Formats: sequence, structure tokens, C-alpha cells
Amino acid sequence: METQSYMPVPPGVGMEENFLSLDDILLSHERLPCRTESAFPRLGFLEKSSDNRDIPEGTKMEMPLWLAKGLYERTRRVLSVELPKVYREGWRTVFSADPTVVDLHKMGPYYYGLGSQLLHFHNPENAEIAQTVLQTFIGRFRRTMDSAQNAYNEDTSALVEPLDSLERVLFKVGQNGLNAFQRWEMGRASHLTASSLVVNYRKRKITDLQA
Amino acid sequence: MDPSEVEFLAEKEMVTIVPNFSLDKIYLIGGDLGPFNPGLPVDVPVWLALNLKQRQKCRIVPPEWMDVERLEDIRDKERKEETFAHIPSPYYMELTKLLLNHASDNIPKADEIRTLVKDIWDTRVAKLRLSADSFITLQEAHAKLDNLTLMEINTTRTFLLDSLNYMYKLRTNMQPRSDAKSQDY
Repeated sequence: METQSYMPVPPGVGMEENFLSLDDILLSHERLPCRTESAFPRLGFLEKSSDNRDIPEGTKMEMPLWLAKGLYERTRRVLSVELPKVYREGWRTVFSADPTVVDLHKMGPYYYGLGSQLLHFHNPENAEIAQTVLQTFIGRFRRTMDSAQNAYNEDTSALVEPLDSLERVLFKVGQNGLNAFQRWEMGRASHLTASSLVVNYRKRKITDLQA
Repeated sequence: MDPSEVEFLAEKEMVTIVPNFSLDKIYLIGGDLGPFNPGLPVDVPVWLALNLKQRQKCRIVPPEWMDVERLEDIRDKERKEETFAHIPSPYYMELTKLLLNHASDNIPKADEIRTLVKDIWDTRVAKLRLSADSFITLQEAHAKLDNLTLMEINTTRTFLLDSLNYMYKLRTNMQPRSDAKSQDY
């Protein structure tokens, strides 16, 4: 059985993030378009497009998710978050028509994660966003399953390219299952191979020294 | 679970052999194995049968379902029905591989049998995938599949469970939740 000495913390899918998960940390770097509801004095250096010393009220700027989440309050005195393009009405109809054609990696590699986090910002369209995210996942599931289970020993980079990071995790899991079965069937399951660490390290072998 | 572990479990199945040595009844923890007399068939577990065969102490009798016509019937039945057909042994894939690798001289038409079993496997796995897909698309909570073998379940287990987990979490997004306080870490 494959036991790992290093178990990475998986991303918390859905509205909660896992604090220690690298995927979630990278996810929170995604930028969201926001509008400031109050002035931020002497923080003008954050907004590169103008040279003010302060950020006046009503500025539209892009903030990373971690900052927007921290500053957002229910009473909305500080910040109001707008939806990125992919979650708006236009793209939602595209997803409901046919989710499989969209290149989710290009649209921001964390479509599902960011979509779930957006639900924190009480937006009137939250219900539709959540529904669309779920339906997109379901629609693309078939394609992900087929490509994961059928690509044995081929170059999979073309298949993996349009997948979101969540789907890539699933793809990898599916591939592992397939590879394990094929290895077993070929009889190579108990075949001893030198660890790649040892091979790459190129230890001098005693037989080479004596020759 | 590893396919090797499933194979290990499969080796507990009984198979008939014809030994060429003699030995009294042996008493093992798992059960008794009858007295061995040369030329008389006896039932033993597969692990013992393979070991004896490798030491050239016996001849393995193929199980009665490992026969070209029976397998062709099973394959045709599998292709016609939409649900999983009943198969003669819950470990058909592993037994085929083990017996055909070690004892192909005792099994007539070994190559055809291998091809037929592969066909049956492919059909069943395709049905499994179709079923998993409709499970997810219809967002069912519960599915019942009869006549699946452990090996087939094992190949799709992690993938299906992970996708179902993700789907569940995405689904709970839609529940209206109480306004959570902001994080305090």
C-alpha cells in the first residue's frame, strides 16, 4: 500500500478554507474587483493606478481574497466586492448551456474554490452562483472521469490543461487507480525498482570502483 | 486498497488439484486440508495450489467456469443486460490472472480465456462508469449495485469517493448558513 511520509493538507472545498492547505493559500491570492466604501488614509501606495496619498472613498481596485475577506463586514462600511467576470450572468449562462467546453484553468485556476469563497460576501446573486458552481462540477465530472480512466501511459498534459485545480486533483487520483491496476495486471506490482532518489544521486557503486 | 491486496484475498478461494505426492491430512489454522494421494483430486486454497504447482508437485484442474463456452455465455449476457450479470466467482479477474500465469499448461485454450475475461471485465467496468456518472448527475444519495466484484470496486473507489465528497461540500454551499463571525486567526 502506498503510504506517504508526507500527507499534504487537502484544500477545504466549500465555504471553509483549511488554514494549512497550500492550495487554499494559493487560492486566497486570487484578486477580486472591489470598491472601497470608506477612505483609507495614507494607503495610496496600494493602488498603483493613481498617485494619491490616500485612497478616497468609492475607488475601484483589485484586492486579493485574503485581504477582501478580512476587511469585509456585514454592515459594509469598508468594502463592497463585485463579482469577477466568470461568476456573472453572462458566463453563468455559458456554464448552464455546456460546462465541458470551457477552459477552467484559463478562467482562473481556482474556479470552484473562489466561487465557494465568494459566498462569504453577501451578494444578492449568491444562490445562483452556488447553483452554477455545483452544476458545472457535475457537468464536467463525466469528462474528467473518462479522461482519467482511459489515458494509460500517454501524455496527459493536453487532457489536464482545461481542468480546474480541483479537477486536477481528481484526475490524478483516477490516474493512480488506473495505473495501479494496470501495473498489477502486467505482473509488475511486486517488481522491485530502485528508488528515484538513489538513481539520481548517482552513488558510486563498488563494482564501478573496482573495474 | 492495492490490487495486490485484492489478489491476496482472492488466494483464499478453493480450487481442485491433482497431486503427485502423498501426504497425510494437515491441520492448519484456517481449516483441514485432506489427505493427499497421487492421482486423486483434492480441494485446496489457491495459494497452496500455486505453491505446489511451482514446485511441480501437482496439476491444477481449472474451475468449471473457466471454460470457453461458459465465458462466452457470460460475456453475451453481460453485453445484453444493463445491470451487472451474475458471475460465477467473486474473484474471477484475479483467479484468471493467477491461474493463467502459473498453470497455463493445465488449462485448455488459455489465450481465448484471457481474451474473454478481459472482454467481460471491460464491459462491466464500462457499466460501472455509466452508473457512477448517472449517480453524480442525478445527485442521488444512495445507489445499489449487485454482483460487483471487489477488484472492480477497488479501481474506482478513491476517485468516486473523492468526487462525491467534493460534490457534497459544493452542495452545502447552497444551504443558507448563519452569519459566521469573521475568522479570528
